[in-house]
Amino acid sequence: MNGHPLLEARGVTVRFGGLTAVDQVSAAFAPGELVGIIGPNGAGKTTFFNALSGVIEPSEGELFALGQRLTGAKPHRFAQQGIARTFQTPRVFAELSVAANIDFGLQFAGRHRQASWLLKDETSILNLIGLAAQAALPAAAITPSQQRLLEIGMALATRPKLLLLDEVAAGLTESEIESMAQLIRRLRDDLDLSVIWIEHAVTTLLRHVERVLVLHQGRKIADGTPAEVVRNAEVVEAYLGDEMVDVA
Amino acid sequence: MTAGAWLELIASGLITGGVYALVALGLNLQYGLMRILNIAHGEFLMVGAFLTWMATTQFGISPLLMIPVAFALLMGAGLAVHRLVFRRLTRTSPNLDVFEARGLMVSFGLMFLVQNFAQLLWGGDLRGYDFLTEPVAIGSAQFAANKLLLLALALAFSAALIVTLKKTLYGKGVRALMQSPTGAQLVGIDTERLHPLMFGVGLGLSGVAGCLLSMTYTISPSMGEPYTVTALIVITLGGFGSMSGALVGGLALGVIEAVGMHFTSPSLKSLLSYGIFIAVLLWRPNGLFARK
Amino acid sequence: MNTKRDLLVLFALAGWALAVPHYGSEFAVSMALTCLMYATLSSSWSLFCGSTRYLSLATSAFFGIGAYCSALSLEQLGWLGAIGLGAAIAAAVAVVMGAAVLHLRGTYFAVLTFGMTELIRHAITTWEKQVTGTVGRVLTVVPERDTVYLTVLGLAVLAILASILVRRSRFGLAMAGIGADEQRAQTLGVNTRLVKISGFALTAAFAGAVGAAMSVRWTYIDPATVFNPFIGFQTVLIALIGGAATLWGPLLAAVVFSLLAETLRLQLPQLYMMTLGLLLILSVLYLPGGLASLRRETFTMWRDDIRSGWRELRAGKAKKVPA
Repeated sequence: MNGHPLLEARGVTVRFGGLTAVDQVSAAFAPGELVGIIGPNGAGKTTFFNALSGVIEPSEGELFALGQRLTGAKPHRFAQQGIARTFQTPRVFAELSVAANIDFGLQFAGRHRQASWLLKDETSILNLIGLAAQAALPAAAITPSQQRLLEIGMALATRPKLLLLDEVAAGLTESEIESMAQLIRRLRDDLDLSVIWIEHAVTTLLRHVERVLVLHQGRKIADGTPAEVVRNAEVVEAYLGDEMVDVA
Repeated sequence: MTAGAWLELIASGLITGGVYALVALGLNLQYGLMRILNIAHGEFLMVGAFLTWMATTQFGISPLLMIPVAFALLMGAGLAVHRLVFRRLTRTSPNLDVFEARGLMVSFGLMFLVQNFAQLLWGGDLRGYDFLTEPVAIGSAQFAANKLLLLALALAFSAALIVTLKKTLYGKGVRALMQSPTGAQLVGIDTERLHPLMFGVGLGLSGVAGCLLSMTYTISPSMGEPYTVTALIVITLGGFGSMSGALVGGLALGVIEAVGMHFTSPSLKSLLSYGIFIAVLLWRPNGLFARK
Repeated sequence: MNTKRDLLVLFALAGWALAVPHYGSEFAVSMALTCLMYATLSSSWSLFCGSTRYLSLATSAFFGIGAYCSALSLEQLGWLGAIGLGAAIAAAVAVVMGAAVLHLRGTYFAVLTFGMTELIRHAITTWEKQVTGTVGRVLTVVPERDTVYLTVLGLAVLAILASILVRRSRFGLAMAGIGADEQRAQTLGVNTRLVKISGFALTAAFAGAVGAAMSVRWTYIDPATVFNPFIGFQTVLIALIGGAATLWGPLLAAVVFSLLAETLRLQLPQLYMMTLGLLLILSVLYLPGGLASLRRETFTMWRDDIRSGWRELRAGKAKKVPA
């Protein structure tokens, strides 16, 4: 490591016409961190992710990956720098098989990147996310929660250093959410990944992450441990409500 | 150039522009509302023109009477086309982009079908008839009466459409749908009935344009395509989905072409139009007047 | 995907096509030549447009550019040189056009490529009128019929060979990813801009080469003939009806249409065009994958569709609910 943060956002602002979706958000992410991002609907979380992965160019502000300036670069350059992401609604290649979907990332961004033996090839990745049995099925034929896992697998195939997960637990049952959280924990521990996780299942999230960012109306209103954040008056007022104080 | 000459030049530009606007409004209605880019639009204009020509020369019916008839017939055709073709596409397309692409291809096929059917029926020669060709003097300028009528009616129809869309409940429904399809449906606006109806209205308008054109110019089965292209240029200038943009854009394009042709040469007209078209599409893909 | 099998089929077809000039009549050779021309155009079109779903209507532009290159340089560069030049210049134009235009979505792209094609046509017409005074070129030194035939055959084989190889390559995978979900492919590391421009240039090179070769069939060429938008329209129609994302679809459709063209076009050209239009509509509605995707299941699917359609109709008649 050269002393620079893995990914750094400085004063990132994203505007659509008259609407400011993300407002001067700054944050730095170190290797191996497990960070959660929470906030009410419309807080700008997904837009922030879009900026962090290069899908949208920020109207203002800068982005750096390991000290290298990535502001305005195309998404494939972000991927080549080791920043991978999933989408809120799984965007898998419906007509390709599950295995071919995973292989895609391996063929492009993941091709020249060094990574752990766990990400050696499609089979290893399929085993890691638990979809080995579905390998030959077309991606359109698996269940939505399996597609969620496939999304993660596709992102892993780019052999990233940092994984942006956008609401991967949405619509899952309590136990499914818990096993998803365990999987994310494992990914961070075994693959030495940094994981940034947007989630609405706040209770589960706060139990597993070490650091939480809270976004509200595009601004970052808190950045600390779960314990600190739930006691933050502004956060409570905007979002959590009093019941949450006991969670952390 | 004298004032009278300028007046004639600009007026002739407005006359062609009026027709452009009428055709563009129909195309815009279809694209803005339903995302159907109907490349065959001009062919239906041609059909309207030929029906009017046939009615006038073979049955002696006044072209003015044919205006509502052309509208009704072409609107019926539009309803049929939508029911037979585009409804199925709406059902079977997995997402909007695929629907748009397929709609484009289908209207491509329609263009081939209609243009060649017309050629089979009526032959490839130029046809025409005389109607209200006496000159009318306004100030120091002279105009053919039929051309003035063309401009007046084109503007009248365009205005009528825009006003209907703005004032009536139905029209508001259409505009709501154009802005937010899901929102409008949630409020209870019936897409199933509105879409074919508006598609029909769009084609009806191009039929009227064709009818009006037949009074003033000669017609041929291949006359439709240039109007489709021009309509595309107009709605690009005015903004996809913007009605008043199509009106203003159409008139503006007519004038630009007239002035451009006068000061350079007629053969540069196409070059100019396409040049503007590409420049606008590249620089402002949402049209010159689109709200960002 | 069975590369060996595909290559064998290609080999066999090429061998058969080679025999035509020796055993076939003048008419048969002419028909085969048109067929090969459209096979090349539609196969190379599908190579890019079929997988990325960017519908290009610029084929006529590249064809015409190739034709003019050939007409202007045939004497100095010789036959193969003229073809190569046509391909190179068409590819260069495609790179410029693509760089300007390929960042736009499907419908805009289609409309823009059409606009640019017409712009090029009008520009060249105006140039010829204003600058050189004459419209069109006469070709004086013209190679033999068999040379032209062999060249176009070679181009057709090359186009299909390219399709076979590209499908198995990362390049082909990248294009398929772009067609499936461009943004997703980008986040997985595909440099979509580069891939699109390269694919577009490849398609243009083939069209330019074919244009250069075919120009000698007409001893006099002018913008209206070689930049005729119908060349582009027919290419797209054939590719779509045959199956733009398949390997053999375009070739299959090219054969069908050459037969149709030669039988219908001389007697009733309008009927030929109408058939084309109707077939395109039917195939987009009922067979979006094209002729090559026709399988036994498709027929059962159609039969079920018709049955449920009848049921709906009868149920609707019985109810007659006022709206």
